[in-house]
Amino acid sequence: MQFISFKVCKLSAKPEFIEAAKAGNVLARKCTKCDELHLATVYFCSKCGSKEFEDSILKGTGKVVTYTIMTVPPAGFEDLAPYAWVVMELGDYDLRISGFLPDIQKPEDLPIGTAVKVVGFDDRGIVLKKL
Amino acid sequence: MEKVCVLGAGSTKYGKLEDSISDITVQASVDAIENAGIEPKEIQAGYISNVFGVADKQVHLGPVVMSNLGISECPSLSIESACGSGSVSFREAFANVAAGFYDAVLVTGTEKVTHTGTDWTTTYFSYCSDFFYEGQAGASFPGLFASMARAYLHEFDATEEDLASVAVKNHENGFLNPKAHFRKKITIDDVMNSAVVASPLKLYDCCPFSDGASSVILCNEKFAKEHSKDYVKVIGSGRGGSPAALQGREHLTTIPSTKIAAEAAFKMAGITSKNVDFAEVHDCFTVAEVVDTEDLGFFEKGTGATAARNGETKLNGSISINPSGGLKSKGHPIGATGVGQIVEVFEQLTGQSGERTVNDAKIGLTQNFGATGASCAVHIFQSV
Repeated sequence: MQFISFKVCKLSAKPEFIEAAKAGNVLARKCTKCDELHLATVYFCSKCGSKEFEDSILKGTGKVVTYTIMTVPPAGFEDLAPYAWVVMELGDYDLRISGFLPDIQKPEDLPIGTAVKVVGFDDRGIVLKKL
Repeated sequence: MEKVCVLGAGSTKYGKLEDSISDITVQASVDAIENAGIEPKEIQAGYISNVFGVADKQVHLGPVVMSNLGISECPSLSIESACGSGSVSFREAFANVAAGFYDAVLVTGTEKVTHTGTDWTTTYFSYCSDFFYEGQAGASFPGLFASMARAYLHEFDATEEDLASVAVKNHENGFLNPKAHFRKKITIDDVMNSAVVASPLKLYDCCPFSDGASSVILCNEKFAKEHSKDYVKVIGSGRGGSPAALQGREHLTTIPSTKIAAEAAFKMAGITSKNVDFAEVHDCFTVAEVVDTEDLGFFEKGTGATAARNGETKLNGSISINPSGGLKSKGHPIGATGVGQIVEVFEQLTGQSGERTVNDAKIGLTQNFGATGASCAVHIFQSV
């Protein structure tokens, strides 16, 4: 019996992804066939369909693409509001990530394009900080 | 492929309802059966869309509904696709009737959540997002759409007042709809002065959490003709998907699944957006309606907000958008909404929509998505 591939990725890269975020980094997977970059939580390349990836650790710095300031928060975030939830673009990579950014009161505090970085991962998910 | 028709439609009022989820689901189904002029025993399958039945102590709603209709032997299933559950369920029913498996089926969408309170609903609705990246990090649905709104206002020449005009227009339409959750006209100032929920979205940019159920009878054309009653043809059906998380999307001012679903539906119908007389679109937040009307091809990208402000989407404007009042004013019982849109189109195309009638309408479109548009279905209907 012939296997399609021996290089099947792990069932879940989330523990490693979380460890990387705690260190201020983003664990990504680069498709070895077409070079498309993905967050490490995918199993197949969205561009070419391949499942051969190389892990790469990216520096978790970048710029705000868009965000909101949450004033009516979901459960668990009541004591943290107002805070921002942010979509950021990672540095020089064509890759975005989103996360929780504490202590943002008003839009002037966080113009689009503001430099931000990943600083951790806890019960608030990916945690970001203004640079 | 069999031609598929909507033979009848029914709905409860949308809003805060006292009756249980099973009761409202049965009520809407009975309304649709009577409106279609059929006997329950003519129904060959039931499609029930629902998301949070667990909140009212009843999941596996299909057999409960069928038993109450006296047809416990009839097969049924439940479908969950967040806020897009209703249209996805309709699509599955459509596909099965088109394929010839069934002559006539019941499609009922339902939701009952208002008794749980805003905290519960905000939290549980956030489970419809890509939770690892969004809900877990404190993003609610208003927050996710607020992020799209900020991107839209940043990218295009549009203002928060332009977005507010969508809410004002939908409340004008909902004022004329006896089954709407809110029958109250509002002004742009009312929207602008309402409390900020997730900036830049304010309370009146957001649709309410509603209870309600809507139902339609779907059948093949032979069955419809045998029942010699007004019916409406389903001429187009399409579905599409988008990256589940906003971070996975190249543009935050468009919803890919809408475009994919619309392209498929228009192709099947052999028409374009220019042939559509009115549309019921997914306006869970004001910005969503603006993005929808652009993605469906009614307006160029970036011009939808101005078009709304200029009154082009009003009842009997250049394209009537959400004559029912939309999710904003008619209400948003999430499992029912997609079916409710189809109820509105059926009523419009069969002369049952009273004061909110779109003049001389022959072709109506529905667009209903789940979450931030991670899933979407578009349907196109034509009067006979």
